Amino acid sequence: MNPPGRADVASVTDDLRAFLASATGRDELLRIPPGTALFGTEVGLDSLTGTLLLREIQRRFGVDVAGEDLNLDSLATLGTLAAFVAQRARPEGHP
Amino acid sequence: MTREGPVKCVVWDIDNTLLTGTYLESGDQPPGADPALTAVLAELGERGILHALASKNPPEAAEHTARVTGWRFAAAECGWGSKSGALARIAAALGIAVDALAFVDDDPYERAEVGLALPGVLVLSPEDAAEAAGWPEFSPPVITPEARRRGEMYAERRRRQAAERSFGGTREEFLASAGTQVGIAAATAADVPRLEELAVRTRQFNSAAGLPGPAMSQDWFRGLLSAPDRDVVTVRLRDAFGDDGVVGGCVIARDAGTWTVPLLMMSCRAMGRGVIDALLAWLIRHAARAGARRLLIPCVANSRNVPLRLALAAAGFRAPGPAGPAPGPYERDLGPPLPALPRRVSAPGEPGGDAA
Repeated sequence: MNPPGRADVASVTDDLRAFLASATGRDELLRIPPGTALFGTEVGLDSLTGTLLLREIQRRFGVDVAGEDLNLDSLATLGTLAAFVAQRARPEGHP
Repeated sequence: MTREGPVKCVVWDIDNTLLTGTYLESGDQPPGADPALTAVLAELGERGILHALASKNPPEAAEHTARVTGWRFAAAECGWGSKSGALARIAAALGIAVDALAFVDDDPYERAEVGLALPGVLVLSPEDAAEAAGWPEFSPPVITPEARRRGEMYAERRRRQAAERSFGGTREEFLASAGTQVGIAAATAADVPRLEELAVRTRQFNSAAGLPGPAMSQDWFRGLLSAPDRDVVTVRLRDAFGDDGVVGGCVIARDAGTWTVPLLMMSCRAMGRGVIDALLAWLIRHAARAGARRLLIPCVANSRNVPLRLALAAAGFRAPGPAGPAPGPYERDLGPPLPALPRRVSAPGEPGGDAA
């Protein structure tokens, strides 16, 4: 069971994969494991895709990653970002 | 009013603003262009300011307006949603901050709606706009060749983006297929006006924004060019779609084992084309080869420079200080392994680059 008002890490991970795949046009990103580095060569997150990703997270989960994590350490891997977002997500429909 | 800095794009209403009447109420004879505002379009366009349309009309109204004013608009939003929503989409499409927009509309309700929803936007009546060309917000201190070509470069950008959407491979593969060339070089006196323009205009990618320090004027850059322990660097960008000229630059202060970059900047137009990544990778390699142990980039973390912070994080920089709005500095260890520099980049000290 999740605490009330928080999101499930696995479903956030799936949402992030789907967004990365659609933003980059690369379907193989639908299958990356949680330990995959986001800035590494595999995903290759840069300032453009990174900005789009953070904007989408804010829109969908109400979490301002860049505002709460000034060093952007949460962007280390897919899994660290999903955990960061899931812990702070606001219930849908209550931004 | 919270806005600051120069206007980069003016978003125009169509009915009774750029046109002398209402498009949909004029039957077979759509109204002509307002001559005074058409002259303002040209005057501001010559200064490198973009123009866009936001209208509660079918898209044909934008085509008609482009025809009768003879102007190529960088973006057009036609529909029946709010004007503030249209402005936000235009800013996103052009890759500029909403606060860098001005909005001209004859309807006071539309002006109030935008002013309330987007307090950073400079909101003007058509009468104001006719005089605005003389205002400081519309008067960039210098007009460079890059500024004069800005409208054209946005058109090239739309063609590039369409090509990238249908490309299918990774961004890296697209940059290579488009023949992207990034040229990092020591600045010369001829680059000074463009460097000042970038220092004034850039927001999302400007490490010095919000930091105390000297005004980054042409005199400041000229003084640095002759300083023995300072380097001023330009970054040029071109590909098969067009030549963007100088899109970025930085200043390096060399001090024994510690190198500091008091200014790192890039035009947001170059975002997503591997430029900021190339510049940071080169800085790291250049400093490490010269024997520096630390590379510092002072920068205030805020919501506006998230793209720059992402690039810094991707290049391995961290701001070890306490969380909060205190200035970094962002820091990177210069031990091996050094980052690779893509082959499309030419730079001092690199294979194919100019001498340092």
